[in-house]
Amino acid sequence: MIPTIWLASYPKSGNTWFRILVANLWSNSDVPIDINLIDSTDSIASARNPFDQQTLIDSSLMTNEEIDRLRPATYAYAASGETLADPDDPCFPVRFVKAHDAYTLTDSGEPIMAGARGAAGAILFVRDPRDVAPSFAHHMHCSIDQAISRMGDADFCFASASDRLDRQFRQRLLGWSGFARSWLDQRDVPVHLIRYEDMLADTAATVLAALRFAGAEPDQTRLDRAIAFASIDELQRQEAESGFREAPRKARTFFRRGIAGGWRDDLTHGQIAQIERDHSAMMDRLGYSRSAALTEKK
Amino acid sequence: MYSYRVSGLEVASEVDLPGLIPGDPGGPPDVTIRRAAVPMTLDGASAIGPTWQRADGRFLMHVPHVARFLLEGGHSIAFEAEDDAELQDVAVFLSGSVFGVLLHQRNHIVLHASAVLVGGKAVLFCGQSGAGKSTLAAALGEQGYSLIADDQCAIEIGNDGIPRIQADGRQLRLWEKSINELGLDDRRGDPMRNRLRKFYVEPVAATNAAVPIGAVYALLEIRGQQLPDIEQPNVVDATRLLVANAYRPLLVHRLDQREIYFRAAAALAATSGIFRLKRQFEFDEIPATIAMLRTHWADIGLGDAAP
Repeated sequence: MIPTIWLASYPKSGNTWFRILVANLWSNSDVPIDINLIDSTDSIASARNPFDQQTLIDSSLMTNEEIDRLRPATYAYAASGETLADPDDPCFPVRFVKAHDAYTLTDSGEPIMAGARGAAGAILFVRDPRDVAPSFAHHMHCSIDQAISRMGDADFCFASASDRLDRQFRQRLLGWSGFARSWLDQRDVPVHLIRYEDMLADTAATVLAALRFAGAEPDQTRLDRAIAFASIDELQRQEAESGFREAPRKARTFFRRGIAGGWRDDLTHGQIAQIERDHSAMMDRLGYSRSAALTEKK
Repeated sequence: MYSYRVSGLEVASEVDLPGLIPGDPGGPPDVTIRRAAVPMTLDGASAIGPTWQRADGRFLMHVPHVARFLLEGGHSIAFEAEDDAELQDVAVFLSGSVFGVLLHQRNHIVLHASAVLVGGKAVLFCGQSGAGKSTLAAALGEQGYSLIADDQCAIEIGNDGIPRIQADGRQLRLWEKSINELGLDDRRGDPMRNRLRKFYVEPVAATNAAVPIGAVYALLEIRGQQLPDIEQPNVVDATRLLVANAYRPLLVHRLDQREIYFRAAAALAATSGIFRLKRQFEFDEIPATIAMLRTHWADIGLGDAAP
């Protein structure tokens, strides 16, 4: 049975980039894989359709709490290989599943992600929150101040509207700090931490370490090719041509800049100070140096 | 006993099932629904999912804190409510998810689709939950196209080789946002469950007869620069599309029913057509989608595309 590994991240932290890179790594094509046909990784953990298919229940008639209580069983079921077309002949060495859910418990105290039954481990992607803010604002079609406020709000959820049906279930993010803390502090599954900035600076070494954590050993030539095929230029080219189905409907583009440190131009001093106040402890823990003391004096 | 007609089957039920069309209380029922003790597990289960078990001709389904359902031989459903679940809660799962599994169990070809009447034929819109099936059927209803089915479409291939769907006459089931956007407030009925903002909505007109199929569309959402379009896939892709749009594709595979879907796809390709309907998802794009459909209906000979 192939291992399941969560790709857990607060949005805009390199998760999709990693997935597309891996899809190219495991593709035998000599051209970049279509970003709208990434079939080497499962759809996001919070997707509604796989749940309905596995449970045979129409989740549109269930409350968020009823759904959350059943999510662990569906993750355990999928991790056991039951949903693969042929469990004895998996197409890929690792089953990567993206998640924007923080690591939380159901109302009966069970981990929603099903603990060790749901996955063999998790790769946690983090990114400097000052770079997340402008990217998140672009993603959600809101102001940077609104994005900063959502990043600091432990109650902010994705897909929580109750007057319509979303293709995804409600996801608790617990804010930028709370998200990382929930995954780093749980003791159910091992976590491998990736900083977006490190993945940019040395993509090959960072991805190699992550794949080894997941139990896969890639060929160096193929890895180099996959990195080139998943370059930001290529992702932007494809998105401009045919759109990206995983992008929010309102977002103009999903693949925006793909750089680190852009916040110095994007944010006001007040915004920088706000983010650093909201997330000081987690920024220190993850090695993001703060400049608030300096900017607040100005 | 209450009598209903669901996907062409006479149903006798001990409980009221809102949203279904009345049946013939005199005739022998094809399916009986009754309250009874239902076990937690099935002896000799050959397959076990997160919420279901299967053993020979029996299927156990479990909606935690709502009810357990035992489906036997495709002709009887027993249910046992859990905790203090209300009958209303049990009923919505019975007439939807559970009946859908029963149709699969009976080897019916059952699609996850809504359907409206166009020029005397059924036009189906297939898609996953949230794809916009009911909303499109409701918008077409406002243009005078009668509702045939809202969520499940059971297809029968007659001896004449013509695929038909059994009218399901169910009420539309729409979320509050769709009701508001389409201006259907005056026909909004009860919520499907007290705690949900999804409601029964009375269609303008509905049909009760079995109807030959005129076209099957798989709903696809486009983004960015892509243009709305209606495509006709080749027969291999069309067959895959049909299986993928079964009500529960997992059961098509588990119950080894791919063959009957292949035959249905061939019959549909020969008599009507399976298409991909690519369109923007937003509500304000619906009129453009309907205009595109009308042109297509004229092209494929569904009358003059009038209702």
